[in-house]
Amino acid sequence: MAGMKDTALTLAILIALVVALVVGAEIAEIRLFGRIATNLCISLVLVLGLQVFMGNSGILSFAHIGFMGVGAYTSAVLTIPAQMKGMALPDLYPILAAIQLSPYIAILIGGLTAAVVAALVSYPLMRLSDAAAVITSFALLVVLHTVMLHWSEVTNGPRTLFGIPKATDLYLAAGIAILAIIGAMLFRESRTGLLLRATRDDETAAGAIGADVSRLRWKAFIISALFAGIGGALWGHFITSFSPKAFYLRETFVILGMLVIGGAPTVSGAVIGVFLVTFSFEALRAVEASLNAARIFTGQVVGLTEIVLALAMIAILILRPGGLFATMEIGVLLGRWRTKVSEGEKR
Amino acid sequence: MTAYIQFLIDVLSLGGAYALMALGLVIVYGILRLVNFAYGELIMVTGYTMFLLGGSALPWIVMAAIGVFMAILAGIATDYVAFRPVRAKSVTAVLITSFAFSTLLQNAALLFISPRPRNVPLPDIFSETVHFAGIVTPARNLITIATAVILLAVFAWVMKRTVLGIAMRAAATHFTMARMLGVPANLIISTAFAISGFLAGIVSLFWIGRIGSVVPGIGLEPLLVAFIATVIGGMRSLQGAVLGGFLLAFIDTGLNYSLPQDLLKFRDAFTFSLVILILLWRPAGLMKGPASGQRT
Amino acid sequence: MLDVAALELRYGAIRAVRDVSLTVGEGELVALLGANGAGKSSTLRAIAGAHKPASGTIRLNGEDVTNQSPERMVRKGVAMVPETRDVFPDLTIAENLRLGAFTRRSDEAGVEEDMGKMFRLFPILSERAEQAAGTLSGGEQQMLVIARALMSRPRLLLLDEPSLGLAPTIVGRIFDMIAELKGSGLTMLLVEQNAAKALAVADRAYVMRSGEIAAEGTAADIAAASDLKTLYLGD
Repeated sequence: MAGMKDTALTLAILIALVVALVVGAEIAEIRLFGRIATNLCISLVLVLGLQVFMGNSGILSFAHIGFMGVGAYTSAVLTIPAQMKGMALPDLYPILAAIQLSPYIAILIGGLTAAVVAALVSYPLMRLSDAAAVITSFALLVVLHTVMLHWSEVTNGPRTLFGIPKATDLYLAAGIAILAIIGAMLFRESRTGLLLRATRDDETAAGAIGADVSRLRWKAFIISALFAGIGGALWGHFITSFSPKAFYLRETFVILGMLVIGGAPTVSGAVIGVFLVTFSFEALRAVEASLNAARIFTGQVVGLTEIVLALAMIAILILRPGGLFATMEIGVLLGRWRTKVSEGEKR
Repeated sequence: MTAYIQFLIDVLSLGGAYALMALGLVIVYGILRLVNFAYGELIMVTGYTMFLLGGSALPWIVMAAIGVFMAILAGIATDYVAFRPVRAKSVTAVLITSFAFSTLLQNAALLFISPRPRNVPLPDIFSETVHFAGIVTPARNLITIATAVILLAVFAWVMKRTVLGIAMRAAATHFTMARMLGVPANLIISTAFAISGFLAGIVSLFWIGRIGSVVPGIGLEPLLVAFIATVIGGMRSLQGAVLGGFLLAFIDTGLNYSLPQDLLKFRDAFTFSLVILILLWRPAGLMKGPASGQRT
Repeated sequence: MLDVAALELRYGAIRAVRDVSLTVGEGELVALLGANGAGKSSTLRAIAGAHKPASGTIRLNGEDVTNQSPERMVRKGVAMVPETRDVFPDLTIAENLRLGAFTRRSDEAGVEEDMGKMFRLFPILSERAEQAAGTLSGGEQQMLVIARALMSRPRLLLLDEPSLGLAPTIVGRIFDMIAELKGSGLTMLLVEQNAAKALAVADRAYVMRSGEIAAEGTAADIAAASDLKTLYLGD
């Protein structure tokens, strides 16, 4: 169990990482770095949301990106300027067509909408056995995707939705990412989080101390969807146009990879995983681009990054099944290392 | 009357494919308690094998046999790549490795073949139509029903009457105890994956037979079907998987017939809602599995 | 036939069995006694191949079988009846028995003959041959797992607490059965908490305490030992 000091140290380190990222991007003054950094911060929000549910309950959820989409589309519909709405969403319901809110409010509403949808849909799923829950979460992702694909009035169907005001800059993304780090940590150490982790390790024993597993999971799932919705809305206001394609398997695979490699049970794992995978991806993308430019292969080299990520995930799971930070937060680890060092010095 | 017969044919042919699909998934889950996310890709493997063989002069049945054989190999490969190295570590680890393997296979097809649909050779008989009792239906549907019935019967016979089948059922209940009677663990597991691959290969012939072409992502829909059918049928019951498959086909076909035109595209959302209702009523699925044993 | 030397078994960092050596000669019935948690079952499981020893050797008829898998041990003629009485509840009695002969499945005639033998030896099983094994009572299940183990025609039978949780009359019947098997020449290693019953039927005995051998000798010697309680529990 983490002591207050260890938790504070963990938070300090993780937040410092984000700050360092922002400072680094600003100093570098290359637009690309700013873009990468902003995307990284958005990924942090998403992956931390996934960590809140998956890390504490031990159940894999594939539905997360679906809720990202819910948040993105909700915020988009609420913020696209009235003039553009006619073109972007010609069939939009008149009530919604009239609304135009500030992006900051819309982002929050996007998160809340995702949370509400999650609350409604997921309660029955929380009573399922682990394997059935995972499978059903996968089906949920597909259903959310189907709805996004076909509810043309609100999403413009499979076509790209454009006209979303650009409101996300590096500072907003970083700020929300830092809030997400703190939020995930607070949840982890809260009563709900502790009980939930207890059920993960031994369901019968936890039941004996009064833990209602379904309710605990449900709460975690809702908070996790809140993060996803906010992350999705943030992303929407960054990229300003998107289609349902962006909320499906590839993205699910990527955030899962980030969390698994970093370590699902810990907040540190989520953060480190995002940093590692993002930087590796950018490096791989550069390699892919230069391969294509040099025309070494006849066709376009596509899918290389996914293949490498897949291999990396398999390798990590073989070597370190829990991920890099599988049990202890970074603050706890450092605390123990310091204790060992000082005890060594005393002798 | 003809409408009912048409409905029945549709449900039975779809249900047969769904049931075989679900069975292939449960057979691995029952023994290992592990979900194979790369299962859909076995359908993809058969499809691309047939595509690559499409230019040759081989009769279709030979191409089909090779396609199914490749699915069997891919199934066994899944065990060695995604399951064996991490089986002992944790259930989540295997879920993720099989998901990663699935992505790997899809992207390999994307990279080395093409992201665009590729034509798959089909036997002429598939598209021939059959007229009886006032209805018209592709011969393919009737062949699917016949194949499903035969395979399910053979499968039930193998499980009940052969030593290997008994051994597999025992392994699904209590893997370690089966080993202590001399049942070779690895043989049982490989056999399970091989059967899983075989079933996926057969389903692939009919599934792709409806569409006529293969894309890297073709395995997703059948995977989903297998998942849902298994969950509502009862994850550890072989009969449950079959029941789940037919039930799902019934729901899907029923919705196809009854939903108004503009809601039809949301059919999957409705199916899923019904599935959720079933799960609310029976979280463990409709059929109980074997009495709880231990994991490997 | 069986020669165990300096066996050490661990569960993670905990040493459950330390420096245990024992032998079982052909045709002997050797009892392994001790209180709960003494390490008897673990020792048996290691011999059966279900638990890899941290150190030490296990020899079967001179052959080193220390790290063999359970499947291989069955082929070498070692059959184990676990204390958890793991019948396969959804398989019928007949199917359970047939599975016991898995390693001999190519010899169909032999297997059929043995099934008949088992049904004669254990009439209650023949009455319910097509019933699911999960419907049997505790005593009946115990008989089933012994019969199932015998189906592989083992040279060495390992019995783990066959009397556990059974009513006294049933226990009597089980031990009658064990005596009969001994009479037919089967070599057995019997782990038991019920020392009196075990010593009545055994040739020799070992007593384990806290993972080590605390005493060994003929059954008569151990039975006569007045400090059996101390041996079991320590002072």
